[in-house]
Amino acid sequence: MEFYNKPGDYDAINYVPHTESHGTKELWRVFLILLGITIFDFAIYFALDPTGWRNAIFIFFGLVKAYFIVGAFMHMKNERITLALVILVPIVFIIGLILGLLYEGHALTMTK
Amino acid sequence: MADHQSEAIFEKQPVWAGGRSPFNVSYGKLMMWLLLLSDAFTFSSLLVQYGAQRFSNVENPVVTRWPEPAAIFNHFPGLHGLHLPLLFVSLMTFILIFSSVTMVLAVEAGHRKHKKDVVKFMIYTVIGGIAFLSCQAWEWSVFISEGATLHGNTFGITAVGQEEFHKLKFGDHFEWKDEWRTHGPVPFAALFFIVTGFHGFHVFTGVVANIVITIMAARGVFERRGHYEMIEKTGLYWHFVDLVWVFVFTFFYLI
Repeated sequence: MEFYNKPGDYDAINYVPHTESHGTKELWRVFLILLGITIFDFAIYFALDPTGWRNAIFIFFGLVKAYFIVGAFMHMKNERITLALVILVPIVFIIGLILGLLYEGHALTMTK
Repeated sequence: MADHQSEAIFEKQPVWAGGRSPFNVSYGKLMMWLLLLSDAFTFSSLLVQYGAQRFSNVENPVVTRWPEPAAIFNHFPGLHGLHLPLLFVSLMTFILIFSSVTMVLAVEAGHRKHKKDVVKFMIYTVIGGIAFLSCQAWEWSVFISEGATLHGNTFGITAVGQEEFHKLKFGDHFEWKDEWRTHGPVPFAALFFIVTGFHGFHVFTGVVANIVITIMAARGVFERRGHYEMIEKTGLYWHFVDLVWVFVFTFFYLI
């Protein structure tokens, strides 16, 4: 980690932290995981009957893919925990929105 | 000596005391993250709207039947009249994931300050993006030619259609019969067009940004600047587009 050690050295607009390559092995591994999950989704789609459980599997694997894309491809794992929290914690509101509107969707059934 | 002392004192200051980037990221990258966060809210509000509409129709099949996605998105270019659900979208997903990989390889090449590799992988990424957009254009045109509009839905599947449809196997001959189709919930096609269109627009702007930075990298702008951070910033955007597609794929095609 790199800091501008003397007060006054720090230029908030032009500051760019030093970065180093971590190699490509991890990236290809993540690619294979994402590809494998997509193929698995494809297989599950034809293997199982359309039920709530199948949907739950799809959503779960969607979240797993999201974890790998954000964590490895977007380098969230290498960021400071403070930045990760600033970006990830507000997602809680999306969960609230999903729960709220699915409940409302259910209620809409009654009005149709 | 005095300089040394002030340095030592400064290093003991907490991260938030000022004079340094508390997140240890550049200004531009932080702003890109915040843009993506707000974009995540936009996309999730659209997808949640889709979910609510679908939930409101799921238990009321007598009045309105939610269309069967597998009966609509089952085409593949060159293989006319066959029932191939999910195959084409899986190809699209693969294209987008692969272009995400070439993007992250370009970022890695930027960390090595290897100009030639950066340009090479950026060109691959641009090609992937254009291929994805072409696939989407083809899918839209097929969907529209089958009668999709923004203000109506003729894809509602009847009880007979449902029964016949479930007998179909992957690769069977497929043709719509009139008694299979009825008027379904109106927002179906509209939501499909809005969500995939909004996503496609993001892909389009991503491709434009990627072309711009590819040219900049090829002309040595980042080399002179001393770092390839611009690749990382557009890379973040590009991966986000891929991330959104994961959920569009899940909710529009799989579920």
